[in-house]
Amino acid sequence: MNEMMRADALTHDSEGVKIAIRNLNFYYGSGKPSLKNINLSLLTNKVTAFIGPSGCGKSTLLRVLNRMYQLYPNQRAEGEVLLDGQNILGPGVDVNLLRARVGMVFQKPTPFPMTIFENIAFGIRLYEKLPKSEMDARVEEALRGAALWDEVKDKLDASGLSLSGGQQQRLCIARTVAIKPEVILFDEPCSALDPISTAKVEELMDEMSDRYTIAIVTHNMQQAARISDKTVFMYLGEMVEMDDTDKIFTSPAQKRTQDYITGRFG
Amino acid sequence: MSDHTVRAFDRELELLGRKIAEMGGIGEKMLADGIDALIRLDADLARSTISMDKRLDALQREVEESAVLIIARRQPVGLDLREIVAAMRISGDLERVGDLAKNIAKRAVALSGEQRLPRAMIGLRHMGELAAMQLKDVLDAYSQRDVERADAVWLRDAEIDALEDSVFRDLLTFMMEDPRNITVCTQLLFCSKNVERVGDHATNIAETVHYILTGEMLPMDRPKGDMAGGK
Repeated sequence: MNEMMRADALTHDSEGVKIAIRNLNFYYGSGKPSLKNINLSLLTNKVTAFIGPSGCGKSTLLRVLNRMYQLYPNQRAEGEVLLDGQNILGPGVDVNLLRARVGMVFQKPTPFPMTIFENIAFGIRLYEKLPKSEMDARVEEALRGAALWDEVKDKLDASGLSLSGGQQQRLCIARTVAIKPEVILFDEPCSALDPISTAKVEELMDEMSDRYTIAIVTHNMQQAARISDKTVFMYLGEMVEMDDTDKIFTSPAQKRTQDYITGRFG
Repeated sequence: MSDHTVRAFDRELELLGRKIAEMGGIGEKMLADGIDALIRLDADLARSTISMDKRLDALQREVEESAVLIIARRQPVGLDLREIVAAMRISGDLERVGDLAKNIAKRAVALSGEQRLPRAMIGLRHMGELAAMQLKDVLDAYSQRDVERADAVWLRDAEIDALEDSVFRDLLTFMMEDPRNITVCTQLLFCSKNVERVGDHATNIAETVHYILTGEMLPMDRPKGDMAGGK
């Protein structure tokens, strides 16, 4: 059974695969690759967590999935990343459109210094021209989708910066979902949040997972155990093991995974 | 297995293992002494066996409390999680072994002074030896992390079951022969059932050891002996 699921998770043309990563190598400059021959698949409407020690390449991998690395010269990726079968690393890909389909939420909440409403509307306007009433509806929908609506509906004109850390992070999630992405990448979304805010964001991810394909990088292994369907363990730029989260946290196949999750590393 | 980065975690796990080992030692001794007291109708030995059960019960509570604390404080996963769940299960099995041995000892006290003992006592003694061996083997398998040895214990339980069956038949015949034997034989029937249950607990522990070491459960159907007789 597990063998089958493992095989399935790696087969890019099988049903239910949203993103298939094939023979991916990544370079921060000249020299050795920071990601070495990564092959794995993210399943549609599933949560995949990436764990591993600092510098193992998990954030790097996430940044490849929406070509965030392209903001920096000298960084390059080799191989294929197939989003619904189309290679997003290939030439002629509209990076802005790609980032609308593959949204990203960062480690620290980064609200813009504008009103709560504008924080959401700003992103939508980059892609669509909407009449005022429709825009209002979209902003509300996004804030509801990020479980923030009830807390901010009476102060949409207040500055985004006036919110608490946890609310700011949910505002950023609302900003991401407002442009209706298919995939959302979370890079350590709770590392700057207190436990209650963390729980709210986790609850939100759980609730979102039936509509979006989610990839999350986290240093908090319990968080990976709590929220993900699949877990990928990475080490020194390589994928060591990918399996059902239940399996990874009860009896992983690889000794390196075991040592890492049980705190015996190094 | 290499050590945890947080060494206090290692110490907690080690302490848990030591408590299980102590429980195992007490369980083995109670079983051996209980059977011995029964065979020799030694009321003193029986009473000292009964008194050992308190320590076993206390240890089981300690194991359970420490396991709950470790889960709360360390959020164990992988092998560590399996170890801790196993410690809770094994301590439960060993506590039951103590109860069963204590029950045999109580019956030994009740039977002391009895003159007419059936031949089935020989079978019962043999059952006791087998169960003690199973218990010892499985505790060794646990402490030495030996999955093959645990699996062997799991497979061997059928022997005790078969022997219980034959003891049951013997006692039945003895009772039918002379109704005055019924009181004694009823006590012995309970003893034989108790020994058979010790075997079951040894098998449970074998399953747990298999789980710790492989992460997989043994199949549901345990090998069983002949079910003839009113079990």
